[in-house]
Amino acid sequence: MENVIRFENIEKIYDMGKVSVQALRGVSSDIKKGEFVAVIGPSGSGKSTLMHIMGCLDTATTGSYWLEGKEISKMKKNRLSQIRNKQIGFVFQTFNLLPHLNVRRNVELPLMYSGISAGKRYKMAEKVLNDVGLGDRMNHKPSELSGGQRQRVAIARAIVNNPAIILADEPTGNLDTSSGNDILSIFSQLNLTGNTIIIVTHDPAVAQRADRIIRIVDGLIVE
Amino acid sequence: MAISITESIRVGLSDFWSRKIRSFVTILGIMLGTMSVIVILAMVNGINKQTLAWMMERGGLAKITIHHNWGYESKKNLPDYFTLKEIFNIRELLPEAQYYNPEMNDWGRLSYLDKSFRTRVQGIVPDFQFIEEWSVDQGRFISQFDIDQNNDVIVIGTKAVEELFGSAEPLGKFINFNSRRLQIIGIMKHRYLKNSFNVGDENSLDYLNWRCFVPISTMINKISGEDKINTLTLKAHSPEEAPDLADKLEEILLNMRQGEPIFDIQSAKEEAQQIEKNAGTFRVVFFLISIISLLVAGIVIINIMLATIQERTREIGIRLAVGARRFDIFIQFLVQTVIVTFIGGLIGTAAGISMLNIVSKYMEFQLIAYPGMVIVALAVAVGVGFLAGIIPAVKAANLDPVQALHYE
Repeated sequence: MENVIRFENIEKIYDMGKVSVQALRGVSSDIKKGEFVAVIGPSGSGKSTLMHIMGCLDTATTGSYWLEGKEISKMKKNRLSQIRNKQIGFVFQTFNLLPHLNVRRNVELPLMYSGISAGKRYKMAEKVLNDVGLGDRMNHKPSELSGGQRQRVAIARAIVNNPAIILADEPTGNLDTSSGNDILSIFSQLNLTGNTIIIVTHDPAVAQRADRIIRIVDGLIVE
Repeated sequence: MAISITESIRVGLSDFWSRKIRSFVTILGIMLGTMSVIVILAMVNGINKQTLAWMMERGGLAKITIHHNWGYESKKNLPDYFTLKEIFNIRELLPEAQYYNPEMNDWGRLSYLDKSFRTRVQGIVPDFQFIEEWSVDQGRFISQFDIDQNNDVIVIGTKAVEELFGSAEPLGKFINFNSRRLQIIGIMKHRYLKNSFNVGDENSLDYLNWRCFVPISTMINKISGEDKINTLTLKAHSPEEAPDLADKLEEILLNMRQGEPIFDIQSAKEEAQQIEKNAGTFRVVFFLISIISLLVAGIVIINIMLATIQERTREIGIRLAVGARRFDIFIQFLVQTVIVTFIGGLIGTAAGISMLNIVSKYMEFQLIAYPGMVIVALAVAVGVGFLAGIIPAVKAANLDPVQALHYE
């Protein structure tokens, strides 16, 4: 199967004035289309940095990164915005929904930035919200929902643009076990329908759901 | 691909509603600034209009007035008045002027039976009516025949009528001026111009209604006994020709007095131009003063927006993560500021215009609105919003997505 992600000798150095911190020290790997991968490692291991680079929120200091065959490392910020918009769906530990927008508008956000008309946006948001079981909560504000429901809104937002990869950063970190399991089940279902899913976590129970584990310690992939 | 402007406006408006107090404070600042711009512009316009109206009432813009230059003392003790002969000479040298009126004034007591008052009587020629655009209401004005014959006739103003005759008929009656017996042949039209400056009379032309007129020959030969004409007024065919005419006059008068600037030449057209120029300067100065208040509002806006952006760092991070480009973020915040200042500008303009009447009444001074000032005021308000919005919007657009997402 073709690689959706491929990276080679990625290094990331944070320059903090006098000190510079090497968060990634030359990592290489690839992820195939349709894979369900868990990136695990203790805190400070560099897994978040890797996730930011894979999510095009940040760029590597050296090394190369290909997403769907395109070299990302040298791209300008606006181009990265477009890639995040079209090819990547994020799910965060803290949900990161906009509190003053209702559920539907939150889900529509990526569609708005890709220039899709209001009518079409509405239909697309409605569909994915039905898919995650929140069709009846479209006009609620995030504050009116439970943690599990909020994370489902975030998942709906992540998949609404039909991205190449779904990147989840500790998606169950702020949830109780039961809601966490619900969320993980959604990811499993999405994976079954062909979505590529990358979950960053330090929780072995979460990692068990994945087909493959990438373990990072001290800025290096050890497994 | 950028999001559309309507989308930006929608996002900006929803931001506006979700932060009512901040929006209100910002609007208030801009509103007060815009209001002062409107009032100031109307005030300068009012002064300008009033002055020009007065000049039009006093003979229009083609009029040129010559009298003794008070700031100059003749070294050779040359006369600071004209003789009638000199006036004829000037007229010959300068036939371009349409009308000439030599004027000789004399103060004295005007009396009829047991009533009398002190006033100024002017010796004039028939051209007076055309230069001052002022003629008789009843009877007739002084004619060339009266001048030629040194006739003992007088034309009086409405105040003089009131003073000497009350409701009795003045035409044909004989009155005395400095013991000279003169027959009333006409009554001048009553002059009125509403005074909007609130100094002096309510009628700013009322002093003219006291004036009385006799043939200049009668004045010279029978009343004062001197051939000393202190004022000469002329009228050009058009206001455009007046400055040129004034220049030629200056040359003639200098020649007549051995190069000494004994006479002062005032061209109404040039004065009007000076007034316009001064009004322009006034407008700019006052405008800048009122803009200071808008600048203060602008600084407040910068602060509010910087605080807003700080507070919304995370939101900006989320927007960037789901695909907003830096330009989208920039526009979102800029549009928000511009919307707020535009609304402030609109309210300020409306409030300013509706205040004009109240201010006019309170200051007893007329403020006149004109359409252009609405555009100026709105443009300034939005301009301030635009400038004040740029710095915070650039700051928002330059946030790093990773740091913004993890901002607490």
